[in-house]
Amino acid sequence: MRVLMLGWEFPPMFSGGLGVATYGIVKSLRHKAEIKLIIPSHTGSGDLPDVHIIGLNKITGTGRGSETTSTYEDLAEEVHRIPLTLSPYHHINEAILKNKLDRFDISSEESRSFGLVNDLFTDNEVYGANILKKIALYTELAAQLAKDGDYDVIHAHDWITFSAGIRIKKMSGKPLILHVHSLETDRGGESCRNEIYDLEKEAMMTADRIFAVSHFTKDQIVQHYLIDPERINVVHNGIDPAEMPRTTHALRDKLVVFLGRLTHQKGPEFLLETAEKVARVYPRVKFVVAGTGDQFAHVLESSAYKKMGNKFIFAGFLSKSGVNDLLSMADVYFMPSVSEPFGITALEAAQHGVPSVLSKQSGASEVISASLTADFWDTDKYANYIYALLKYNTLKDEISAHAKAGLDKVTWDHAAQKMWEGYQETLNTKKTNTQH
Amino acid sequence: MPSVCFYFQVHQPFRLKHYDCFKIGHDHAYEDEAKNKEILDRVAEKCYLPANRLLLELIEQHRGKFKIAYSISGTALEQMEKYRPDVLHSFQDLARSGCVEFLSETYYHSLSFLYSKDEFIRQVGMHREKILTLFRQSPVVFRNTELIYNNEIANFISAMGFKGIICEGLDHVLGYRSPNFLYHPPMNKTFKSLLKNYKLSDDIAFRFSDKNWSEWPLTAPKFAHWVHQTAGNGDTINLFMDYETFGEHQWPETGIFDFLSHLPAEIFKHPDFDFKTPSEVIASYKARGEYDVHHLSSWADLERDLSAWLGNSLQHDAMERIYHLEKRIKDTNDPEMVDTWAKLLTSDHFYYMSTKYWNDGDVHKYFSHYNTPYDAYINFMNVVTDLEHVLEVRFGEGPEEPASREKPTIALSTPLQVQNSASSRRHPVL
Repeated sequence: MRVLMLGWEFPPMFSGGLGVATYGIVKSLRHKAEIKLIIPSHTGSGDLPDVHIIGLNKITGTGRGSETTSTYEDLAEEVHRIPLTLSPYHHINEAILKNKLDRFDISSEESRSFGLVNDLFTDNEVYGANILKKIALYTELAAQLAKDGDYDVIHAHDWITFSAGIRIKKMSGKPLILHVHSLETDRGGESCRNEIYDLEKEAMMTADRIFAVSHFTKDQIVQHYLIDPERINVVHNGIDPAEMPRTTHALRDKLVVFLGRLTHQKGPEFLLETAEKVARVYPRVKFVVAGTGDQFAHVLESSAYKKMGNKFIFAGFLSKSGVNDLLSMADVYFMPSVSEPFGITALEAAQHGVPSVLSKQSGASEVISASLTADFWDTDKYANYIYALLKYNTLKDEISAHAKAGLDKVTWDHAAQKMWEGYQETLNTKKTNTQH
Repeated sequence: MPSVCFYFQVHQPFRLKHYDCFKIGHDHAYEDEAKNKEILDRVAEKCYLPANRLLLELIEQHRGKFKIAYSISGTALEQMEKYRPDVLHSFQDLARSGCVEFLSETYYHSLSFLYSKDEFIRQVGMHREKILTLFRQSPVVFRNTELIYNNEIANFISAMGFKGIICEGLDHVLGYRSPNFLYHPPMNKTFKSLLKNYKLSDDIAFRFSDKNWSEWPLTAPKFAHWVHQTAGNGDTINLFMDYETFGEHQWPETGIFDFLSHLPAEIFKHPDFDFKTPSEVIASYKARGEYDVHHLSSWADLERDLSAWLGNSLQHDAMERIYHLEKRIKDTNDPEMVDTWAKLLTSDHFYYMSTKYWNDGDVHKYFSHYNTPYDAYINFMNVVTDLEHVLEVRFGEGPEEPASREKPTIALSTPLQVQNSASSRRHPVL
């Protein structure tokens, strides 16, 4: 099985779960399939044996990856911060959308000018102000690199690579599989209909099969993009097994941790409301907010206005090791997302032995059965759960132990197996259709 | 002359209402009255009333030769008095027939034997009073909650003056021996243990409507035939089951009532067989051997152990926390406080917290009104936290947990704050 994989984020460059997921997928899938991965920028630190990684920033020097293997943890210190206002997981500003995607069509001539390519893909921002130009160029270059037809399936990760996926499918006739880690309707709200939505929908109509990171996401695709559920396979994300030590902190209060971008999608309103309710019944608590985003100022100001300033600690954007440090001393992990396709950080919390209170509108709640879940808006229920975890140690211990034990079944190998089955299914369907 | 001995368990717990952390310190009414009434209504219509009617008819039809026994928990009886007196009356009609025996159990259907012998004795006494008042009988045979049993329990019950005890017939204890005889605990030859024939009991209680079962459909003649096959190798076939088997677990459409209505006549077709109540069995037959049970056993699940109630740390924690309050509660001398506390000892609260088959969505889920075992634990613990708070505020008890000291926001609601004087101490709060 030969897979042409179209990715965007890859270690050490990522802003959210997509980079972590792409790396995890490639690392496990390479044992089952021959992968050629095209990403915008490759520094060499995410190299894996047997995987042909082509970074467009090094378009003149493509070749086999080095024989070194590195785990995600080894790469952690090299995480570069991506400006959040331009992340694909952030609802794209209207200002950017005004620039139609096609305005940035790049002629083949231009794409052959390696100087421009290198400039575009060498900056430290995987998204950045030139995001649409980058996508257009990525599409063009990926299509050229795919001309050899030396692959059986095309596997494209999220909307930024979907244009390339559609183009290569049309060109090669090979089946296209979309891997949906996040949808525009997650980022911009259920009723969001814009060019990115249109692009996602077009790709979904064109694709032979769709991998969704959760049943939640599958349902969203069916509901908001009107896609036949038969064509969607759920492939939950995984986590590399690791033993994470617990540490202590100097505060006398217990710590409830929120990790993620402060955008509407992550439910900052519900974080505030819940914190207020918890503090009323359990005053010795601090909510640690790690992450930033367009709602940051609002959360900060509201907490001050509600005289809750002393209940919050704003930690800003944390590096991988910062996240690990924080989780190692956390008492509760809280994820009140309005719409969370997966939420890999919940798995990380479980790995650290931290019990979770999760939004039901999340993929992570599907795989961590030992967690407490409520509808994203149900702040009474969230507060009751957080209170119980802070107050009843036996509950905290029982849930964290079970959640940790349950991770045995949530691995990238398991995900890779499902993807491999999905490839087979797609090829078989295609064969049958051709015969008829 | 071998006998068939039927005993049916009737129990309803006082289920707790949704009780979140915001209610702690403000709301001291814990019961979900609407749900308790709703469930009793449902079970009354589907099981208690039609089954009682049928059994009374059978008793009359067979002119005193068809006999049965019930064990009805105090909490079930209280709910019948409160919500469905008609159901209670139908049980009283059965009691008056002279063919129905009522067994002894703990009033609150609790696991108190394991945690407090004082409380256990108190509950058995309360239940005895209730049975005497309602049915004019003094039970002489004991059945412990969920047939929880070992040698120690049997000897304790014997010392309390009972003649016998109901228990599960465990294969690994019986070995080659049959459950169809009376046995006695080691070193106690005068006391008798009645062992459940779980194969025949479960044929009715669990397999009756199972279409994948090779014996389906089970008819009265077929079942009677199996019973008759024991002739010559047994004194008593003990058929012990939940009463809800009739109409609630096995729906009327399965033919369960039809089966029951024909069973006595089919049993009587063999002239050697009769029906006896547990105390009659004890009076009629000798114990044929020693039944030596060291570990605690029960009639629940495949394990036949205590793991349904004490299988995880949440259950142990909740159980220990509530029993820990016993002395402080009883020192208040406030009957309502004691009653509120004792209702929290009912085994069902802990059963809801079981995680052992949680993911299979099986029988445990069927019996629980909580979405998850965690919800059951949290709800229960919030209630206990409030009860501790009431103890502290009303009865001046010092808190034992540092966490409750740091809750200045939690205060009794206004109507209670005026009751500070000693004279009002007995005024009901809960």
